[in-house]
Amino acid sequence: MSEMNTPKPDPDNRIAIGVTFGNANSSIAYVVDDKAEVIANEDGDRQIPTILSYVEGEEYYGQQAKNFLVRNPKNTVAYFRDFLGKDFKSIDPTHNHASAHPIEANGTVSFQVKDKAEEDAEPSTLSVAEISTRYIRRLVGSASDYIGKKVTSAVITIPTNFTDAQKSALTSACNDAGVEVLQLISEPVAAVLAYDARPEAVLADKMIVVADLGGTRSDVTVVASRGGLYTVLAAAHDYEFTGEALDKILVDHFAKEFMKKNPGIDPRENDRSLAKLKLEAESCKKALSIGANASFSVESLAQGIDFTSTLNRLRYETISRTVFEGFTRLVESVIKKAELDVLDIDEVILSGGASHTPRVASNLKNLFPESTNILAPSTTATAINPSELQVRGAALQANLIQGYEAEDINQSTHAAVTTVPHVTNAIGVVSVSPSGEEVFVPIIPTETAVPARRTVTVPAPKDGGDVLVKIVEGNTHIKVTKPEPKTQESSSKAAKVEDAEDSNEDSDASDEEEEEEEEKREKVWKIGTTLAEAAVRGVKKGGKVEVSITVNTDLSVVVTAKEAGTKNFVRGTLSG
Amino acid sequence: MTTITFPLPSLPQGWAAEKDFKPVDKAIKEATLERTIEPIGPHFLAHARRTRHKRTFSEDDR
Ligand SMILES: Nc1ncnc2c1ncn2[C@@H]1O[C@H](COP(=O)(O)OP(=O)(O)OP(=O)(O)O)[C@@H](O)[C@H]1O
Ligand SMILES: [Mg+2]
Repeated sequence: MSEMNTPKPDPDNRIAIGVTFGNANSSIAYVVDDKAEVIANEDGDRQIPTILSYVEGEEYYGQQAKNFLVRNPKNTVAYFRDFLGKDFKSIDPTHNHASAHPIEANGTVSFQVKDKAEEDAEPSTLSVAEISTRYIRRLVGSASDYIGKKVTSAVITIPTNFTDAQKSALTSACNDAGVEVLQLISEPVAAVLAYDARPEAVLADKMIVVADLGGTRSDVTVVASRGGLYTVLAAAHDYEFTGEALDKILVDHFAKEFMKKNPGIDPRENDRSLAKLKLEAESCKKALSIGANASFSVESLAQGIDFTSTLNRLRYETISRTVFEGFTRLVESVIKKAELDVLDIDEVILSGGASHTPRVASNLKNLFPESTNILAPSTTATAINPSELQVRGAALQANLIQGYEAEDINQSTHAAVTTVPHVTNAIGVVSVSPSGEEVFVPIIPTETAVPARRTVTVPAPKDGGDVLVKIVEGNTHIKVTKPEPKTQESSSKAAKVEDAEDSNEDSDASDEEEEEEEEKREKVWKIGTTLAEAAVRGVKKGGKVEVSITVNTDLSVVVTAKEAGTKNFVRGTLSG
Repeated sequence: MTTITFPLPSLPQGWAAEKDFKPVDKAIKEATLERTIEPIGPHFLAHARRTRHKRTFSEDDR
């Protein structure tokens, strides 16, 4: 908390890592030779459950602590990240039913656990800040062990809706664990950075949706990526359609299967049986992301009875449909919130553990046009592991800034540097289609942060000569083409619908037919205000013209048009 | 959206402007909105450097 606790390592001696600290899992990563490596802890895990457990005075963390949810739930603390920096009254303890319950103590969210060895020791009351500090100490300790040097500093990812109170509580918790927080960065943008840092990545202006589907929450964000600068346009947060919700469906499914064989024994009614069911349900769910079938097997599930079953992916997808559709609707809602259309989205990055689910990715593929790149393991062979995206981004950012003084980092993240005008209309140049129509060629897209500079190369007229460079604003709209009414077909269809009344199969067939005739939606440019005109004279036959536009901080616009490969150019400025 | 780029138009007969450049509108001020860029990534570092040292792109290039 106090300034005194803030570690201030010398930039030259920093060992800086990336950290994700989720409600379900945490991860650590380190950059070696410009490549981010996700670190496996001493248990061999890269996804390290955000759980602490105390057994006979011994502290366990990660997967070992998670396993204690069965035998030692009262002294196991799980799902606490989102409680940091919050009032007791405002927290949702839904996920803490099967582990230590949050209580209000000394005006803060706390947990009561027996963390001392002595048989008769009183349980300790530990604030969520103290729990976080202890957990982070273990997490960062694992990174230090791996690197072989003491980690001094970290970049940590946080949701886009973290409040200042949550940010400062997280920073204090880290400081108390002896870790300097170099920067807190937003989770979705960390995921974008992980993709953009790949050696094969090309710098392009893209509109990106990041769907982060985690354990207790799903966060979907629209990010405008412009010349490597990222602006969050809209975000949606959901606590209903989550990885945990999928586990719950499987728990209920297998509990019912068990009860078919063992009437009258509901394994959900016993805490220990329920804990076993939950752990196995999660394993089964993960297995179904890879295979078409998964087994479910728990020794002594209830009243000493062993239980074994299997589930195939199709059945899983059927019983989980509501959750999967919830993910898709969440994505749709955030695009709407950003006042965009699915046709505006160039890339969808699937991030977070539940993004491994093939059906989730294929549902999104169906939502977007063919041209939208869906980056998930089941749709793109080169996709990065969704569970590792954020921590990779955090490690890359840590590597980028570790050499700077803390004060320097502070100043660069200040609003005076980050809050800037963004253009709301695209700026481009007019070209001419073979039929003589004026067609907009975008140069600076909408939502580009100022200052900005872009260049495009456009062909001159076939025979060259004097060329007009007309700089205009442009906007898109969605053009909808209704299918042509086909009189004959529609009458036969009417007949079919009549027939279909008492037959389900037939009505399905007519649904398909309607789908075939779906309206066509396309994005088209509309040319707006003319900003300037320039002439490039005497361009040679088959020549090309490079048009470069710079929008300066004072909103002045500098236009340069140049015959490619020559010194033949014109330049002018529009004052801001 | 199509990626085919059509050619620029030819200069209309009689078009003339001082130094061949004719500003028509200077209204891009109304067509901007203040937003916050995320302080993340190598291009942001370059942006922050330019902003804090009040340098332009071309000064930065040198
Ligand atoms: N291969 C997989 N297939 C399906 N689901 C998976 C897979 N791997 C992990 N999950 C699920 O993803 C969820 C955890 O996701 P993640 O690690 O991104 O969460 P988190 O960010 O820590 O949690 P939260 O969103 O609650 O803060 C869990 O429900 C887990 O079961
Ligand atoms: Mg998460």
